[in-house]
Amino acid sequence: MREVSRDRIKAFLTLLPSIVLIGIFVYGFIGNTIWISLTDWGGVAALAEHPVKHFIGIQNYVDLFTGFLEGRFRQDMVNAVFYSVSLLAGAVGLGMFIAILLDRKPKGEDFLRTVFLYPMSLSFIVSGTIWRWMLAPQGGVNILPTYAGFKPLTFKWLSAKTTVLAFNWQNLLQIGLYLVAVITIIIGFIVYRNSRSKSVKWLAIGALSGLTAWIGGDMLPKALILEEIHGFNLATLGIIMATIWQYSGYTMALYLAGFNGISQDLHDAAMLDGASTSAYYTHIAIPMLKPITISAVIILSHISLKMFDLIFSMTGPDNAETGHPALNMYLTTFRANEFARGASIAIVLFLLAATFIIPYLITQYKQRRTR
Amino acid sequence: MAQVKLNNVVKNYGNVKVVHGADLLIDDSEFIVLVGPSGCGKSTILRMIAGLETISGGEIVIGDQVVNRVSPKDRNVAMVFQNYALYPHMTVRENMAFGLKMAKEPRDIIEKKVNQAAATLELGPYLDRKPAALSGGQRQRVAMGRAIVRQPDVFLFDEPLSNLDAQLRTQMRMELKKLHLQFKTTTIYVTHDQIEAMTLADRIVILKDGYIQQVGSPIEVFERPANVFVAQFIGNPPMNIIKGKCTRVNGAMTLVAGDLSLQLPEDKYQDIAEGKSVLIGIRPDGIKVRDVEHRIREEWRKEATVNVAEILGGQSLLELNISNNRFIAEVEGRMKLHPGDKVTVGFELDRVVLFDPETTEAIA
Ligand SMILES: Nc1ncnc2c1ncn2[C@@H]1O[C@H](COP(=O)(O)OP(=O)(O)OP(=O)(O)O)[C@@H](O)[C@H]1O
Ligand SMILES: [Mg+2]
Repeated sequence: MREVSRDRIKAFLTLLPSIVLIGIFVYGFIGNTIWISLTDWGGVAALAEHPVKHFIGIQNYVDLFTGFLEGRFRQDMVNAVFYSVSLLAGAVGLGMFIAILLDRKPKGEDFLRTVFLYPMSLSFIVSGTIWRWMLAPQGGVNILPTYAGFKPLTFKWLSAKTTVLAFNWQNLLQIGLYLVAVITIIIGFIVYRNSRSKSVKWLAIGALSGLTAWIGGDMLPKALILEEIHGFNLATLGIIMATIWQYSGYTMALYLAGFNGISQDLHDAAMLDGASTSAYYTHIAIPMLKPITISAVIILSHISLKMFDLIFSMTGPDNAETGHPALNMYLTTFRANEFARGASIAIVLFLLAATFIIPYLITQYKQRRTR
Repeated sequence: MAQVKLNNVVKNYGNVKVVHGADLLIDDSEFIVLVGPSGCGKSTILRMIAGLETISGGEIVIGDQVVNRVSPKDRNVAMVFQNYALYPHMTVRENMAFGLKMAKEPRDIIEKKVNQAAATLELGPYLDRKPAALSGGQRQRVAMGRAIVRQPDVFLFDEPLSNLDAQLRTQMRMELKKLHLQFKTTTIYVTHDQIEAMTLADRIVILKDGYIQQVGSPIEVFERPANVFVAQFIGNPPMNIIKGKCTRVNGAMTLVAGDLSLQLPEDKYQDIAEGKSVLIGIRPDGIKVRDVEHRIREEWRKEATVNVAEILGGQSLLELNISNNRFIAEVEGRMKLHPGDKVTVGFELDRVVLFDPETTEAIA
């Protein structure tokens, strides 16, 4: 008994320095950032020796989402969402696809695996620079068709002004309700097989919010006074491509390791059960790798939310079409010296990332406890 | 229901030949057991029948179709694997339904068949559990359920019970037997376990190094092994094999091994060449110690010295020295004997098997 408690003390003492350091430099500074975001630190005297800070509550956040001057931030948020979704779909999809091809054990599998994994080892600054050249208006990708005798492309990968899927930020609440409706109805159909009563609940929530959005229409409160259009900027396509290029090798490696871990017998059993190769992957292999898919989604989504260096090296920080909240935070804080506003952007990003990571950590923790 | 035929089936891995021209005809609804030492090619043969390995030579016929180029799913065979190979992310119900789902059977039929199979295998209470939440025996039953719902022409089992403890194995063995009596599906069963082989098989196939050594009913391979390998592989403890000679003594054909001489029965081995060297095979249970006077002819009774005696509960194992030959005897009852004790033993010489010392094949 005494030995045990001694061991514990030793363990605690060993961990203590890192607990203290993490406590100060991670959690302490998160707390400090939250505090700053609730003040009005910024403006002309922001860099004074003892800057004046007043507590102003959540005014910075209100401004970010509904303030007249922060339209740029809102477009950056929209960019980030489209960027994250495209990166997830692209990198997970492409990575999985390559992993399946390599899992068929083609000749030179080892070599190909290295080739696909290689982009991961580049720094974002390097790959950003490469892609900037490749996506230059008169070079790289745009002149590829000329090798086949076609006309060169004229698409401006990083500075196109076209916006698709545009929506009015004023109707944020309505759009949000529609989104909730779509998502809950999809969940409702998914759980239908397992539990009808749960499914009915989900469907009811979906129908309710859908109806509110539809009937409520113009009567719903507006987020802004003026109309403000945001959407998917096609200029972000180049950045999305570059990030997918860099990360699909990583997801491929995750999936390939997972596929290799599935026993031959399981594959054989599926074959005897009459599964075709594609049925084997859709019904057996990919569902079995759900934990890998979840990890990939978590990792990629927080990477994409924090993305800074790749965009910086591809377009610089000031390219409005390809803006990103992390760049905006940098500009707001260190160019405009609006420290409080910058802190509030940081906290918004932090909370967004947390919405992905915390449920993941909770399920992991639960799984470990039930094991 | 189908016949399975192996015609001169060969399997090579590169330059390594692991199955050398296997010929075998398995009747409809027959239960065939493949046995042999590790690495002799049992799984390989099974997997070739399933279509999971290519066939390097010869042909395999299921029903009346040559299946060499038929993919596994079109052979209508089901296989139960040693480690069960259940789909871990599916419930028991989904595991059993998967094959039917792939065959695009309508939902209500799938439901009915799965419930039927679950009832047969007493899996009802576990249908909505995942395999991880089942015991080894239950998983084994799910694996069998998955095989029977599809009503295949042929069942293939690759050491299905070897991961279970002894008691459960006995129980599952009986259930397997019952299932076979119920469904009468042609079954090919690979095992290491002698008792499984003897109790389940209609016929046993003994393999060694990719060659079929003998095919026969359990009693046949036990009593009339085709060669020394089979004699020693089947039966535990293995058959006693001692070197000897055939000679005529007073006109009767007699086996002589050292100081031991045993007169052959009048209806056996009478036309053997005189003076021929032979290997004499006698089963341990062919040496009697109790009631020898009543059961064994006088010429076959001999004096023996006990070297070691082991009591195994119902029977005892004795290591005996009989006229300077060492024999193992397996005798009924608990014999409290001590090293050095003298006993009278009787040989059931009507069960003796003689082998050629050069070829190690049995002499007709
Ligand atoms: N992929 C392979 N490449 C080369 N040799 C192989 C391969 N698979 C099996 N073998 C060889 O084929 C022989 C037969 O293997 P098999 O698995 O059929 O043996 P087994 O009788 O089932 O043995 P066990 O009782 O241990 O399961 C073995 O000698 C093995 O080394
Ligand atoms: Mg094997």
